[in-house]
Amino acid sequence: MKKIMKHPYSQFILLGLVLLTLPYLAEAGAIRNSTVTVIGTTIIYTIAALGLNVLLGFSGLISLGTAGFMGLAAYISAYVTETMALPFELAVLAAIVIPTLLGILVGILSLKFEGIYLGIATLVVAEIFREIFINVTSFTGGATGALAGRPELFGTFRLDRIQTYYLIVVVMVLIFILIHNLTKGHLGRALNAMRGSEAAAQAMGVNIFKYRLIAFGIATVLASVSGVLYVHYVGLSYPTTWNLMLSLDFLAIIVVGGFRSIFGTFIGSFIIFAMSELFLKPIPALANITPLVKGILIIIFILYYPNGLANIKHQVSHWLARRKGKRDAFGQTKTEKKNLTRAEVRENDTV
Amino acid sequence: MANFIGVFLRSLEYGSFYALSALSIILVYKTSYTTNFAQATLGMFNTFLVATLVMRQGWSLYAAIPIGIVSAVILGVLIDIVIIRRASKAGPVGKQIITLGLISVFLGLTPIFFGVDNLSLPRFISSGTLTIMGTPFSYNALFNILFGIFIMLTMFATIQKTKIGLAIRTTASNETTARIMGVPTKTVTMAAWAVAIVLSLISGLMTAPYSSVSLTFMNDVQITAFLATVVGGFATFHGPVIAAYGISVLLNIFQVYMPSGTIWGKPLLYAVLLLIMYFKPYGIFGKQRLKKV
Repeated sequence: MKKIMKHPYSQFILLGLVLLTLPYLAEAGAIRNSTVTVIGTTIIYTIAALGLNVLLGFSGLISLGTAGFMGLAAYISAYVTETMALPFELAVLAAIVIPTLLGILVGILSLKFEGIYLGIATLVVAEIFREIFINVTSFTGGATGALAGRPELFGTFRLDRIQTYYLIVVVMVLIFILIHNLTKGHLGRALNAMRGSEAAAQAMGVNIFKYRLIAFGIATVLASVSGVLYVHYVGLSYPTTWNLMLSLDFLAIIVVGGFRSIFGTFIGSFIIFAMSELFLKPIPALANITPLVKGILIIIFILYYPNGLANIKHQVSHWLARRKGKRDAFGQTKTEKKNLTRAEVRENDTV
Repeated sequence: MANFIGVFLRSLEYGSFYALSALSIILVYKTSYTTNFAQATLGMFNTFLVATLVMRQGWSLYAAIPIGIVSAVILGVLIDIVIIRRASKAGPVGKQIITLGLISVFLGLTPIFFGVDNLSLPRFISSGTLTIMGTPFSYNALFNILFGIFIMLTMFATIQKTKIGLAIRTTASNETTARIMGVPTKTVTMAAWAVAIVLSLISGLMTAPYSSVSLTFMNDVQITAFLATVVGGFATFHGPVIAAYGISVLLNIFQVYMPSGTIWGKPLLYAVLLLIMYFKPYGIFGKQRLKKV
């Protein structure tokens, strides 16, 4: 039993099941209805952030364009279902394929760029999208925004708010399992090698061109899925939503939660998007200081947990082990450590 | 022709706003090794302080500006001591996200200190126009152009010719070596943050009369400034500044001379810049840093 629980799949499914109970709790009056909505949007943001985590955490490529691609998918899905009155499935397909093709195009461009240069280049792409969102009013509704209804599956089942929430949770669990599989396999190893050193990875036979495109592809697919879910869950989309701040928030999720960690992405998303909404907004006296608290939290987490909250359990267990007189990563106890000579300390540091 | 001179002068004026912001970004980047996304927000915060003193307390603009500068310097010193110095363990992306945290903090503080209403700010020179080759042009715009260029030249002279500038350049090229050589890198970084926030404030004070002082009024300037730093290259101090003026000229030409340019001028500019970045990935004035394998 313990072995089954340790398996990542069961952990993902367990998390999904816990999230699925929230609407019942809300119905029973244990939590507010708005809590379910906040958690729903948090999950949507988690999906987009997970895509960015594959891109940044595994392959070390930064993108400040996540919000732009998410917005593009949202507008396409809204346009196809509302204005063209085509089925939801077709809208999902269009809203994933078009941004992903563009994302792969950015991946091709990205071969030239590195570091912050790549970040700003993707930001430029997102800003072009944002100008389109504002100005092409026949497609996006301009500043008044685009409206979208709840998803209608197979042309017959029109989902309500709670059922859409279930759909979001199910999609999240599926994506978690998919990304877990992808990153544990040879794709993950290739991306890891690429992050360490592109030249070395190339020498080992990793095709940089192919894997950069795949990394950008995964990031855009997840951003698109997240955009589609957003527009059908929230019901509308404004051009002002999809700006640099949102892209930076996605980066913050990853840094706070932890690189290359799926659960870390969820925790980070919860801290960045849900925490202040759930705990501060309901109290009128504190509602005004939510951005302040969010900013301070971000700074504190980065200063004191630079490896992300996902690594907190390692830190705690190491600390406990050292307290109990057990051996740490260097095979030394606390008392032994005190008696080290300077040269030995230096040797430890270089390890 | 008269129209073109008007367009060109306006580009130079807006170029000053962008160049000041770009210089602010590059100063922090060179000394703290992080892209300061909070540049616009910090400039906004101090501009709000000046605007509040002028509009609510009835101060003269010229009396309020020194207070704004003092506040900017204090903020710069505090941010460096309280946050940036302690962030040595954070990775490069972590440091960038710290500046995102700063954005959030100051977006939260501004309404608490200065209220939620937008304010308007008077110009440096409130009235008077002169005619340059048949183009009417306000004294304030002329002042913005000249003052912007004056600050740029002063900054470059300081960086290139003085001992302080040498300390900045050494810190920028290699912090550890600089510290070994006896350069007080901590003080240099602190001073760079202070000067950077003052530059953002000046950029904000120049921009504000053309819009209103709101929480987001500097964001467009900041995005253009980021573009300028990338197009000009992070390698030099002068690259981003020249690029900022260039981008401003291009943008105004697109917006005025292209059909429906007010709508499509910006996207076209972005596309052109992306193309330039594609062929010059380390900036027009930059050079690639070679990596050892």
